[in-house]
This record gives sequence, structure tokens and C-alpha cells, in this order.
Amino acid sequence: MWTPTRAVFPGYYKTGIFGYRYADSKSIVEMVEETEVPAKKVDETIKSYGVEKVHKAEGVGGVQYFLYRFRNFRLIRYLLNWGRMASLFPAHITTACCSVEFAATHSPRYDPERFGWLPATGSLRQSDVLVVEGTVSAKMAMRLRLVYDQMPDPKWVIAMGACAISGGLYAKDSYNVIQGIDDILPVDVYVPGCPPRPETLFQAILLLREKILYGRAV
Amino acid sequence: MTASAYQTVLESVENKFGKALEKIVDEKKLVKMVVEVGVLKKAAAYLRDNHGFDHVKAVTAVDLSKLLKKENKIEVIYHLGSYSRQELYRADLALSVKLDKVNPRAPSLTDIWPSCEYHEREVYEMFGVIFEGHPDLRRLLLPEYWSDIPPMLKDYEAPGR
Repeated sequence: MWTPTRAVFPGYYKTGIFGYRYADSKSIVEMVEETEVPAKKVDETIKSYGVEKVHKAEGVGGVQYFLYRFRNFRLIRYLLNWGRMASLFPAHITTACCSVEFAATHSPRYDPERFGWLPATGSLRQSDVLVVEGTVSAKMAMRLRLVYDQMPDPKWVIAMGACAISGGLYAKDSYNVIQGIDDILPVDVYVPGCPPRPETLFQAILLLREKILYGRAV
Repeated sequence: MTASAYQTVLESVENKFGKALEKIVDEKKLVKMVVEVGVLKKAAAYLRDNHGFDHVKAVTAVDLSKLLKKENKIEVIYHLGSYSRQELYRADLALSVKLDKVNPRAPSLTDIWPSCEYHEREVYEMFGVIFEGHPDLRRLLLPEYWSDIPPMLKDYEAPGR
């Protein structure tokens, strides 16, 4: 029986829904986990922004632990993630000019609703994804964390634009702009650009879908 | 504003305060009087009562310690304007005072021009200048948890990454 080699179609020929694998090859789940950038330790950096108390879920134990393991059986995890991926409610926090591109992404020309990305019109207490658009000042930091804490699990964060990633125009010598929102939030997808074009944000949406589908079920 | 209107103001202030008026800078766009700290309030009242400078446009400060002459001082500048005298409508007269950088203290001009209040609060938080007699000297814009030195001083180092 002919089997395609990695050179022909690298990595993708074993991407069945259960992540089955042959011989010594890698499944796409492992590939995603390998390429994932380890998150920064937010708990340590957030203290310098005046945030004293951070909302945290209770430690996993007892029934919760059993449920967590149950959710992470391959088939169940796949179905859960598939459902989550296919209907994303974004909440967006507009702090700078990237919001114009964010609005343009929702236009019929790009139409992210094809991929389950709904218009950002709801309450953040019912949303899955937080899109942070633009510069976050030092005074805004604890408010942004408050917004994040109010969202229900599972939740994901997209950092949009150079300012949200690293401070952008205000990097290095500003006393008032935080140098990347990953000091205060765990970020899933970074969208570079100043501002990013709608295509770039669209790619981020697709990447986030991929990450949700092949990641762990919380 | 015509040059003669400035000239009369400057001459009369010079006659009135004499040596307390340290310096007059008269350049193309800026006419500035540097006075001593002791007579700042008197000079301000004199300008308001006798020359019709009835409001303050801005209060700013400069840290001179790393500029060309390297004086260890902070200069507080009041930009004055007038609504009541027609020949002074476009005037921008600067009244400035140089303070010691180690312990910068100046009399507040809020009882002469009430519009100084928020400007002086900003100078207080950005440069650490203490205005004596200010009714409400709190920080204005910086975050609540700020614990560093005032950020506009030249010694300040931004945290960066």
C-alpha cells in the first residue's frame, strides 16, 4: 500500500479526527503543542501594574478532576473543541486605531461569519474571545484585567497590533504605556501590523480556530 | 501684538522690581521674564492688575539639569494671556521662575489666576514641584499605584522591556 511521505505532504497525512498516528510520525496535536510558545508568567508581572487580586478558578480536584479527564478523551475533546471553534463570540476592547480594521474585517468583503466568528455586539460576560485593539496605558492595565476576569471560561485572547504586542510606537521609553499586554493577560494569538490589515486579523481567526480544535479542553 | 505693547510691559516690570527680575528673554516667538521666587506672586499680581493679563494659558516646567548649561534647577513657566486689552489679544508672555532641584518649592498662583489649579497639579505630579498654598495638591493623571519618581525628570528611567 502506498503511503505518502513527509516530503510530499509534511505532517498532514495523519490528521484524522482522532489524531491516530503510524510508526514514529507525529500527530498534528503534538505538532501544535510543540510549536506553542510557552506563556509568560502573568502572575509575576501583573503585580507591577497595581493588580492585587486576580480571579482564579478553584483548584481542580475530586469530581472536577474526573470531568476534566473525561473531557480530554480524544473523541470527546474533539467534539467539544469542534463545537467551540465553530461559534466564537468576540468581545473587543477598543483602545486605539486598530478598531477601524477590526470593523472592516466584519464587512461582507471578508465575512468571517463563514468561519463562525460572529459580530462583536454582545456582552463580554457571554463572550469567548477578547480582542485587545491597540495601546494599553498603565492606568488601563487593571481595568483590562478586570474585563478579562469577568469573561467565563473557556476564553481566549487576541492581541491586535504592534502596540498590544510590544508597546509598538511607545516601546522602551514610555512611562505610561505597558510593553505588551502579555504582562497582564495570557495571550493566544498575536496579530502584527500597525494597524494590521483585515486579512491579517482573518488569519489570526483561522489560527485561533486551529489552536482551539487541537488544543486541550479546559 | 505689537512690539511696543510688550516693551511697555517689560519696562514697567523692570522699573517696579529691579534686581528681582533676573533676566528678560526676547526672541522671535517668546518673550520671557525670569523672576526670583520671592517676588513671583507680587509680579503676577502686578501683571494682572496693571497690564490686563487676566488668564493663564498654560503652566509648564523644564528640568534644566541635563540641558546645555547643566544648571541643577527646575524652571516653572506660566504662559499669560489677556482677554481684556485689545493690543494684548495675541500676546503670549511667559513668566518663569527657577527652583532648586533638590527641594523645589514655589508659591501657588491659584489665588491670582484660578485657572492655574489643574496645571499646577500636573506640574506637581510630573516634576515634583510643591506649590505652597495650593487648595488641592493631588496627583492628576498618573496611575493610582504609581510609586516611582516623577516621570518628566531627567533622572527617570522608563521601565521598558
